[in-house]
Amino acid sequence: MGLFSIFEISSAGMDVQQARLEVAASNIANARTTGPDGLAYKPLAVVVRSAIADAQTAAGTPITAGQLPRPAVAEVVEQDVVPKLVYDPGHPDADARGMVTLPGVDPVTSMLDLISISRGYEANLRAFDVTRSLLQRTLELGRGR
Amino acid sequence: MLNADPVLALLSRALDAATLRQTVHATNVANADTEGYRRLEVIFSAEIQRLNAEGPALDSSQALQWAQAEPEIVESAESKVRLDQEMAQMAENAVRYQALLGAIERTLGTLRFAAKEGREG
Repeated sequence: MGLFSIFEISSAGMDVQQARLEVAASNIANARTTGPDGLAYKPLAVVVRSAIADAQTAAGTPITAGQLPRPAVAEVVEQDVVPKLVYDPGHPDADARGMVTLPGVDPVTSMLDLISISRGYEANLRAFDVTRSLLQRTLELGRGR
Repeated sequence: MLNADPVLALLSRALDAATLRQTVHATNVANADTEGYRRLEVIFSAEIQRLNAEGPALDSSQALQWAQAEPEIVESAESKVRLDQEMAQMAENAVRYQALLGAIERTLGTLRFAAKEGREG
């Protein structure tokens, strides 16, 4: 158990943020993706799990350094949001009443997600950087003559 | 080898603990969005409480007992990970780690000086 395993943990954290970013980008890009019969694009969400977090329920038991949890994307699920109905009779996907079903992607929520993802990624990168510089300093131990 | 000198033994134990702290902070940051994750922290529980009850270390053998204290990873009282606090604590721990490295460097310098019978710096 040493500083090296921190690199794995931090990169797992960055992987997770990258997956969240892909999903957020897909939601924003598909904000106007419609389909026939009112089947619009459903906004997606990432579910992040780690093996230990699930087994963490036994509170008070010490965790060893080797079993520290590494986050991973467990699944990408469809969000349960209400689609938006817009009156647009000329649209090829419009129903009998001229209503088109648009995905319930909320632009404000999407932008906030982007900020949170970028903060999360930065924090992991910073942790990676701090670990790297500590390791470098340790390797220089005893160099000074 | 580091255990040959009591000061180095203490310093290397402290360095181990600082490494563990860095690992745990990185884990907390990485798991900030993990479902059901509860923030972890490093504590020195039972051993330190016993030593604290005995009062401050007065000689090197007592001081060495502190080096036996095992750090433990436990869930912290505040279960939610707050990125800013985590980063601040990580920075603090990094400074402590570098201070320990400096102390080890100086102790090694003293030993080196002795090994060379004080002939040169």
